[in-house]
Amino acid sequence: MIASIAFHNFKALRSASVRLERFNLLIGPNGSGKSSLIEGIMRMGALARLPPSEAVPDGEGGGDRAEVRFRLTPPYAAWEVVMRCATRDHCDALRWIHHAGPENPVEREALRERLRSVRRYEFEQAAMVRGGAGLPDAELAPDGANLAAVIHHRRVAHPDAYERWRRDVLRALPEYDAVSAETDAEGSAVIRLRLVEEAEVITHQDLSHGSLCALAIFCLATDPSPPAVLCIEDLDRGLHPRLLREARDALYRLSHPGNGEARPGHSQIVATTHSPYLLDLFREHPEEVVIAEKHGRASTFRRLCDCPDLAEMMAGVSLGDLWYSGVIGGVPEEPETGGAEVRTAPGGGSGS
Amino acid sequence: MASNVSLRVAKLAVLSESPADEAAFGILIEAVLERPFVRVRANLRARGWPSVLQVLPAVIRHLHFNTDAQGLVVVVDSDDSVVHTEAHDAPDYFHPQCRMCRLRATFRQTVKRLPPARGRERVLRGVGVAVPAVEAWYLCGRDARVTEEAWASGQARGALPYTRGQLKERIYGTDRPSLEYALRRAVAEVERFRRDTRRLEHDFPGFASLAHDLRSWTLG
Repeated sequence: MIASIAFHNFKALRSASVRLERFNLLIGPNGSGKSSLIEGIMRMGALARLPPSEAVPDGEGGGDRAEVRFRLTPPYAAWEVVMRCATRDHCDALRWIHHAGPENPVEREALRERLRSVRRYEFEQAAMVRGGAGLPDAELAPDGANLAAVIHHRRVAHPDAYERWRRDVLRALPEYDAVSAETDAEGSAVIRLRLVEEAEVITHQDLSHGSLCALAIFCLATDPSPPAVLCIEDLDRGLHPRLLREARDALYRLSHPGNGEARPGHSQIVATTHSPYLLDLFREHPEEVVIAEKHGRASTFRRLCDCPDLAEMMAGVSLGDLWYSGVIGGVPEEPETGGAEVRTAPGGGSGS
Repeated sequence: MASNVSLRVAKLAVLSESPADEAAFGILIEAVLERPFVRVRANLRARGWPSVLQVLPAVIRHLHFNTDAQGLVVVVDSDDSVVHTEAHDAPDYFHPQCRMCRLRATFRQTVKRLPPARGRERVLRGVGVAVPAVEAWYLCGRDARVTEEAWASGQARGALPYTRGQLKERIYGTDRPSLEYALRRAVAEVERFRRDTRRLEHDFPGFASLAHDLRSWTLG
C-alpha cells in the first residue's frame, strides 16, 4: 500500500525517509521515532476521512512547516499523498498528487477509501479484561477492549474467519483443546477456553496478558476485512519468546496472502519491537527490518538489508545478538564512560 | 602497522557487557597505553560469554570495514572455565575450555580472512580475561588473597577460595548492585591503577595479557 514515507519536521523526524515492504519490523532505541512513523500513518488515515480539499497550497508556511509525503504501491503508484501540518503536532490537510497525467477522481476515491482504513493497536490487558461495552463489534478497538465482542460477531457473520482464529489460538496455546466465543447470562460476549484433559473452562477475563495479546493478534491476523495498513506497537508485548513465531506467521498470512492459505484480503504491516528474539525470526528477510536511529533529538531510518557486509556479519551469530552488540545500530545512546568518543555509522558509513 | 598507533592517538573499540565494565576498562587502557585514547562508538555490547564469542567475528568485521578503529579490546569473565596458563601460550596450543585461547583463536581466524581496509591491514587485538570475574580485579591490592593464582589453585583442589557473589558483595556491598552504583564503584577501584598497573598485572595474568597486547601495538 505505502511504498515509502518521507518526513520533514514531523515530531522527532526532522528529515527522515523510509521505504516500506509488505511487512515491516521497526527496531531501535526508545524515542527513536518508531511510534512517530506510525503516528504519521495514522494521521494521514484520519485526514483521508475528510473530503479532498482542492485548496491546499504547496509550500505555505515556509520550509520549516511539517510535512509527510507518502508514495504508494500499485495500483496507486502514480499517486503521492502529501500531509501538511500547521505545527509539528497538528496536521490539517492532505494533498492528492497524481504524477502520471490527469487524475481519475474514481481512482482517488478508491485510494482514499483504502487509506482511511489504516489502524493502530497497542493491547492493554486491563482493557481487554474489562471488555468494550458499547463499542462496535466489527472492528477491534485500538487497545483490544472489545476482543470478545469482535470474535463473537465474527462467529456469526464470518464463520470462516472465526474458524481460522480458533485454529490459530489452539495451535499457539496447546494447553487448551477448545475455544469458543459465546454470550453470558447478561448477554455480554465472552471467550471460553477449555483446559486440556480437564473439565475446567475459563473465560478470557482469566487469561494472562500474554495470552490475551496472542488472542488479539490472531484476531487481527484473521480479520475478514483487514485494513490497508495494520500498525502494532510492541508486537512482542507479553508473548513468550516461543510464541513469537506463531504471532509472526499469523501476521505473515495477512501480509503475504497466498502463502499456503487462501484469505479474502491482506494488509501491509508495520510493527515495533524491542525483542531480539522476534528480530531473530527475520534473519531470512532483512529487507523487512527497519532500524531507527536516534541522533540527539533527531531520528532517521535505515533498512537492515542496506547494512554492508550483512551476510558476512550474520554468519554464526543470531540477528538479535548482532543488534544487541551495536554493530547494526538501533541501540540507545549511552553516556561517555572513558576515552573521548568518535561516532561511527553502525553497519556502514564513515568511521570518524 | 603498529607504529602507526604509536604516532597517533589510538582509536579503540571496547566490547563489554555493561557501561560499568566499559568505564573501568577505559581507565585501565589509558593507564597501560600511558595516553588518552579515542573510543569508537556506538558502544559495543554482548550478552554474556556465549554471546561474546558469537558476535566477535561480526564486531571485528564491522570495525575493520566500517570504522577507522585501530584496535578492539575485549574483556570477559572466566567464570568457571579453565584458567589460561603459560602452557597455553605454546605455539599451536589451544585449550577449548580456556576463554583466552578461544577469544584469541576467534580473533586470529577472523582477521586473517579480511583484506586490508581503511589504510590498515587489520584491527589489532586486545584480549583480557578476568578470573573469575572483573570484581576480582577491583579488589586487587585491597585483599592479597584475591588473585588469579588463588582461584586457579582452588579450582585444582576442588575448593574455591571465594565465590563470584562474594566478590560482588565486597565491592558493591550487595550482589545486586544498580548499574549506576556499579559504574561508580568500578571507576573508583581502577583509579588506583591509573598510574601503575604492575600489581594488577602481577596478580592477574589475564589482565597482563591484555596489557601485553596493548603495549605490542606501540612496540610493533
